[in-house]
Amino acid sequence: MSALLEVEDLRVSFPTRAGVVEAVRGVSFTLGRERLGIVGESGSGKSQTGRAIMGLTAEHGQISARKLEFSGIDLLAVSKAGRRALRGNRIAMILQDPKYSLNPVMTIGRQIVETLHTHEKVSGTEARKRALDMLAAVQIRDPERVFGLYPHEVSGGMGQRAMIAMMLVAGPELLIADEPTSALDVTVQLEVLGILNRLVAERGMGLIFISHDLRLVSSFCDRVIVMYAGRIVEELQAGELAHARHPYTQGLLNCMPRIGADRHPLPVLDRKPEWAL
Amino acid sequence: MRPALAIDSLRVTFDDFVALDDVSLAVAPGESFGLVGESGSGKSTLLRAVAGLAPVSGGTIEVDGKRLDGKRSKAFYRQVQMVFQDPYGSLHPRQTVDRLLLEPLAIHGFDDTERRIVRALDEVGLGPGFRFRYSHQLSGGQRQRVAIARALILEPSILLLDEPTSALDASVQAEVLNLLEEVRTARKLTFVMVSHDLAVVTHMCDRLMVMQNGREVELLTAADLASRNVGQDYTRSLLVASEGFRRSA
Repeated sequence: MSALLEVEDLRVSFPTRAGVVEAVRGVSFTLGRERLGIVGESGSGKSQTGRAIMGLTAEHGQISARKLEFSGIDLLAVSKAGRRALRGNRIAMILQDPKYSLNPVMTIGRQIVETLHTHEKVSGTEARKRALDMLAAVQIRDPERVFGLYPHEVSGGMGQRAMIAMMLVAGPELLIADEPTSALDVTVQLEVLGILNRLVAERGMGLIFISHDLRLVSSFCDRVIVMYAGRIVEELQAGELAHARHPYTQGLLNCMPRIGADRHPLPVLDRKPEWAL
Repeated sequence: MRPALAIDSLRVTFDDFVALDDVSLAVAPGESFGLVGESGSGKSTLLRAVAGLAPVSGGTIEVDGKRLDGKRSKAFYRQVQMVFQDPYGSLHPRQTVDRLLLEPLAIHGFDDTERRIVRALDEVGLGPGFRFRYSHQLSGGQRQRVAIARALILEPSILLLDEPTSALDASVQAEVLNLLEEVRTARKLTFVMVSHDLAVVTHMCDRLMVMQNGREVELLTAADLASRNVGQDYTRSLLVASEGFRRSA
């Protein structure tokens, strides 16, 4: 499998008044056309890893890496314009909450069409047709109607489908999904994941799925990276979650309440300072 | 035994929208009762109606046999306290923890505030070092502990919990759930807990009501749910969803 993305010793740090905060501290992985899960708690650096790849790190953040390559392109050397050409076109990102990540004053249809016009030379009619096709592909029953709606007029599940449509319409090779279903109800969550699953498989994309939910990620991805305090503490095949060796991974799995398991009190995570070394 | 909280054919409407339609339930003293459902199912509205935060347009709510009507009395808020979902939104950003905990004591004219604040912090496992911090200096889990301390400081008998852990990391969720169970046992509290997470509710509650579109779907015991002994398809679909994603699905 040829590598789509190569990350070697990625570091992201933010200077603050209280000193430099190192959000990501030496993360390395390669990604082919597969689904990779990145799991961790708040502050583990999982989202900053995704943002650094996408080129969305805050202006004052400092990124360094021995290697950060997307299909042969050195992402650290690319100009801002070059980054913009990649972003949304060859690398796309789905964010957590459609309430905040969609433009509230633009109809859903126009937002999808805008993505197309930014990256390709297409006529208005063709762009509209492709947007409608894309909305149909994310199983929106009445694409014509949803095309003309504003984000506040649709439900969370519908908004997230529109978001997926917008991100996939340009046909990206790499999709980064940062907590794509955390803001949704459980039953809707499964529908959206089903759609994402099918589209990623059909189009042969690489997927980085970032989430705090270890079990959800392992049921969705091929491979899972577990992050703690900016580092990778464990890498697992998704099927081998039960054999996780790192106490942090085991702790994350154990502390979730389970239906039918009578455990009072719940085991809590005993964070060891050496995990963060 | 007289129920701690009895709700009879409660109805809440916002203009033309019926948020809660003919819901009845009774929670025994010391019981932990759960409400499960998706967004829009009316589970939070029910809690808010009890707390006097949602307009009741029909039915009755009784606490300890006393019917609640209109504006809640001060005595009611001593007896019933609420913990909200988002610890980032429910604490005053410009008040220290000390000030936050003093407010309810001052309103209700408690004396001995010094000792009560120290004890409340200790009870939720925060220690005196947190007393003069602002909420932005605390993590999500610590904030939720402050919110719990603020609810407990009036020594209520009923605690209304609206998704108390859904904004927290899994490991922090476990800590907060354990804390809630501890204080419930220690103070013989009655819990009414709302959550979208079936596993959390079965872990915390003896009985639960599944809700959808403002109505009751069914009433179950935690044991029923654990043994998959459920009567309604909707509950079954929630159970399936709680097990996570399956490729073939």
